[in-house]
Amino acid sequence: MKISFYPGCSLEGMAKDYFHAIDAVFEAMDIDLVEIEDWSCCGATAAHSLSEAMSVILPARNLAAAEKMGLDIVAPCANCFNRLRYSQQIIKKKVFDIPWQVTGDIQVHDMTRFLAESSMIKLIKERVLKPLNGLKVVCYYGCQMVRPPKITGYTDYENPLTLDRIAAAAGAEVIDWSYKSTCCGASIGIARKEIGESLTMRILQKAQQAGAEAIVVSCPLCQSNLDIIQKDRPDRRTPIFYFAELLRLSFIAHGDPKWFKMHFTDPVPLLKAKGLL
Amino acid sequence: MQNTVSHQKGMAEHEPGKKRKLIGDRGNYFLDRIQGEAGVNISACFQCERCTNACPVSHFMDIKPHQAIRYIQLGWREDLLKSSTIWVCLSCEMCTTYCPNEVDVAETINHLRNMAAHSSITPKEKSLAVFHQTFLEVLRKSGKVNEFRLMNAYYLKPDIFQEKLKNGTLKEELLLGLTLLRKGRLKIFTPRSRAIKDIQKAYHQARGEIG
Repeated sequence: MKISFYPGCSLEGMAKDYFHAIDAVFEAMDIDLVEIEDWSCCGATAAHSLSEAMSVILPARNLAAAEKMGLDIVAPCANCFNRLRYSQQIIKKKVFDIPWQVTGDIQVHDMTRFLAESSMIKLIKERVLKPLNGLKVVCYYGCQMVRPPKITGYTDYENPLTLDRIAAAAGAEVIDWSYKSTCCGASIGIARKEIGESLTMRILQKAQQAGAEAIVVSCPLCQSNLDIIQKDRPDRRTPIFYFAELLRLSFIAHGDPKWFKMHFTDPVPLLKAKGLL
Repeated sequence: MQNTVSHQKGMAEHEPGKKRKLIGDRGNYFLDRIQGEAGVNISACFQCERCTNACPVSHFMDIKPHQAIRYIQLGWREDLLKSSTIWVCLSCEMCTTYCPNEVDVAETINHLRNMAAHSSITPKEKSLAVFHQTFLEVLRKSGKVNEFRLMNAYYLKPDIFQEKLKNGTLKEELLLGLTLLRKGRLKIFTPRSRAIKDIQKAYHQARGEIG
């Protein structure tokens, strides 16, 4: 199986560990991820905020490249996924001139939904060598992956289950909670710290109250927000995993603690205590 | 928090010497324009406040989301472009998702932010506006956004640097940056995209510059 892969800027920097984990997971599952050649940034919130035309044109370049290859896109970053889908819809309305040859007809998947299909879950279960027994997690989706439903195509946007299914397939004990898609503040913390902190802290508190030992995410920005805020708070030790990291861990008999060195909240003690490392 | 309180007070009690705002003296020009450009049916709003109740940051806004929609109906353009609301909005799309009348509130606020960026009005949340601006500058230079370049460019903006210096958070931010570098989360060099020229061209066209 072959699918085109749009990593997005974060996966080259802040979320390099996510990139490595994805690589390992897809290789183990025998799915050929073809990185879009010479991809460029989707524009994220900034292009959308300051220039509507650019927020359509920037993702369109990557859509055009994937269309040329004739492959559907899978995007690991929630915001990239959202921007690509948004761009597709506006391209079809033909209200902006797009400098590239693009129809907007290919399918854009977010990586979690792609892996949460029943055939993929079956494949994951076959590959699991060491189930993550006893690891209590909550899954956190954030905004951009599920909302607005008319763009993302999620029908269960109030209680999304894609990450839950993946984490459960890896053997983790998934706890239900109410803050799956509450906003973490995205990039607002950089310019207005107090707003970002108030939103992020609430999610951490609620995860702890739900009895979670770790949070599973798929969005690089959610991960860094939830992770970095814990750096000066010794009372809060809730590691934030990318779902791909958990899959990678379960696919292999002996994981490597070095995989987690980019985390601020070190997950190694927790994993060792559970006998998973 | 104090700001919000004093603002609400200002709304309730009419300040002497300040001209009272009239309702309905501006016609539908602004409403029609936003409805056409943003493709949002703003007239459908009946002020149920579900958007404001769903909003995670309405507490930090001077004009609440449902009020913003009403302001558009009344044509109060300058008040909206001067508000903190348009910059504080996170585009988390809660308002849009839960509106019973399918008013795309987030897209509307985003459209106002676009308008404000192209107007002479100084943004009320300057640091947020500068952050978006810096992001686009970095994007235009390399086709991709490297977080190290972004944070560097952002902190070196005169307004931001002075603000950080004044409130004493500069050291803390620098230390965080160093830790991020040490952990390998910030990469000093990442490959640029070959699309820079195409992106520059599209950017100039989007701004209405010919050739």
